[in-house]
Amino acid sequence: MIDQLRQTCRKLLEEGAVKVVIGYGQDKPSMMPHPVFITKPEECDRLVWNDLCFANLAAYITRKEIKALGKPAVIVKGCDERALVVLEQESQFTRDGIYVIGVACTSLPASGVGNPRAAKCASCAVRTPRYADVTIGEAAVGSSAVGSSSCSTADAEFAQLDEFMKKTPAERFAYWKAELSRCVKCYACREVCPMCYCNRCIVDKNRPTAIDTSATIKGNLAWHIARAFHQAGRCVGCDECTRACPAGINLRLLNQSLAKSVERAFAYKAGMDKETPPVIGSYSLEDKENFIQ
Amino acid sequence: MSDVIAKDDLLRLVDQWLAEGKRVLGPVKAGDGVILYAPLAASSQLVLEGFVHAANSIKEAVFPRSETIYTYKFNGHEIELSDVDPDSTQCIVIGARPCDAASLPVLDHLFNWDYKDKFYNARRAATTVVTVACSEYDDNCFCTSVGLGPAAEQGSDAMLLKAPDGWYEVRAVTDKGTALFNGKTTPAPEIKVPISDGPAKKFDTVDIETFLKNNYESDAWRDITMRCLGCGACAYNCPTCHCFDIVDEGDAAGGRRVKNWDSCQFGQFTVHASGHNPRAVQAQRQRQRIQHKFRIYPEKFGAILCTGCGTCTRNCPVSLGVLNTLEAIAAVARGSIEVK
Ligand code: SF4
Ligand code: SF4
Ligand code: SF4
Ligand code: SF4
Repeated sequence: MIDQLRQTCRKLLEEGAVKVVIGYGQDKPSMMPHPVFITKPEECDRLVWNDLCFANLAAYITRKEIKALGKPAVIVKGCDERALVVLEQESQFTRDGIYVIGVACTSLPASGVGNPRAAKCASCAVRTPRYADVTIGEAAVGSSAVGSSSCSTADAEFAQLDEFMKKTPAERFAYWKAELSRCVKCYACREVCPMCYCNRCIVDKNRPTAIDTSATIKGNLAWHIARAFHQAGRCVGCDECTRACPAGINLRLLNQSLAKSVERAFAYKAGMDKETPPVIGSYSLEDKENFIQ
Repeated sequence: MSDVIAKDDLLRLVDQWLAEGKRVLGPVKAGDGVILYAPLAASSQLVLEGFVHAANSIKEAVFPRSETIYTYKFNGHEIELSDVDPDSTQCIVIGARPCDAASLPVLDHLFNWDYKDKFYNARRAATTVVTVACSEYDDNCFCTSVGLGPAAEQGSDAMLLKAPDGWYEVRAVTDKGTALFNGKTTPAPEIKVPISDGPAKKFDTVDIETFLKNNYESDAWRDITMRCLGCGACAYNCPTCHCFDIVDEGDAAGGRRVKNWDSCQFGQFTVHASGHNPRAVQAQRQRQRIQHKFRIYPEKFGAILCTGCGTCTRNCPVSLGVLNTLEAIAAVARGSIEVK
């Protein structure tokens, strides 16, 4: 499979179809696979693919430094591709301006503690990219540990959240206060996120300041509430923010809460279907108004 | 002649410090299991072993993420300013790694350079650092490449070395350290804990400094740092990174002026009032971080602004951080990587 991936990329660069391939490399075995930007056909051997390829490379296509390289080919897993769907719906790129190389998740990551990918993979609904120009590999099917290959059951996806929601509001608030007290506002969660592409984030507005920059409990709650608002109906659940957070804050739980609310109220799941208008960018007379009380 | 303390007695001592009203900072397991230096409420939270390095550093003991430097009140058209006293609560850092402690003498230079930072100095004077010599290291550790090692004593007031059967050898390094363990240890002439060699040297800082002097404009910066996202996961958890921003936070009645952590990796860090940004792309910001640590700071203060703790590389969401950047630079310097 890796040969096929490298060959595909080599050909694209040789033919001049793209200027850069955004893929995964691993400069030494002790490293986690990391994003690489391949501009020459002969460098395609640097590309790797394994079940530690966590990074969601869709985050790079909106970055100024990467755009400057010219038309990209971007390697995406099924979950990452959901981010591309939302970005395209939000007019962040034109489909013929990028080449999408899908990779099916051929082996499922070993679940269990310490594998940040296990949580999202266990309930993954899109092991095979659906809109790619070319898709490499075939998704692994059915494994008892991870459910079926093609569709998640909402139950599994929101299991952690459902458990959490059994707590009282006071208990939940105490939990979030403790979690968020560890936030140092490094914004790694924002920088890895494909959906956080604003040129100027509201937390960076300082003339005047919109949100306290201090990493105090007030400033941290304000930051995370702002983030949640801006992700509702847009977050694709790639879990990159959770993986990136050096303080181990359970951002996944917060994201799931948004996703479930949106699913319940609008029967909408971000990035699943190109044809469904995005919930934030569309208006319908059927929209519920029961939040006005 | 060695002095030792049993682990149980050490934990009892920690509880005693807490009972005396001291602030005690040490590695704890937080959230999903990540190890962080944090204030302890009881000694039972303390995790001394079984991990290489916490995901953050001990710098909050002396340089908190957010610190009020004065407060203000509006009084009609007048503004009333009030000083805030520096925090000099006695603080004990327990279980720090030698690479954390070693950052303190390095930071002293900066905070006592053109301006003597009374907030930093008050906390620093009130802080006693007890390190644990490292018996484990990982691929991201490179203390030995920057002149330190698993039992380097720089910045430590006392050092604990893990001895068999639940004992720690206690080595007092400063008077503060001696005072802290005075009467708490037992002489044990037969115990002498061997010190590990630590990780093999990964690069030569002289080569790095030479490269940095001669290659400010090299395309290597672009090539090596292309994947850098410009977050603060490296700098905010780094024991030696010390940039801060000064902002006012308040409302129509008044507020406070605060000193908050900031990072050269953020695009906004160098934006001028005109809107011009002299560090317009991420490669220039990464270059700044490396240049500052391995050329500018050594030139100015005679100390490398990095203790080789590896925290930045472990935390980096895209496996960059200082170590991987330096190794790539060393490879370019050796000519084994061609710059496009
Ligand atoms: S908020 Fe987190 S999970 Fe959602 S799209 Fe962004 S990085 Fe992925
Ligand atoms: S990555 Fe974690 S610590 Fe950093 S800003 Fe996000 S939540 Fe806070
Ligand atoms: S090196 Fe890594 S941690 Fe540092 S700014 Fe870049 S992406 Fe963030
Ligand atoms: S630059 Fe990285 S390795 Fe060096 S002291 Fe800071 S966190 Fe540690």
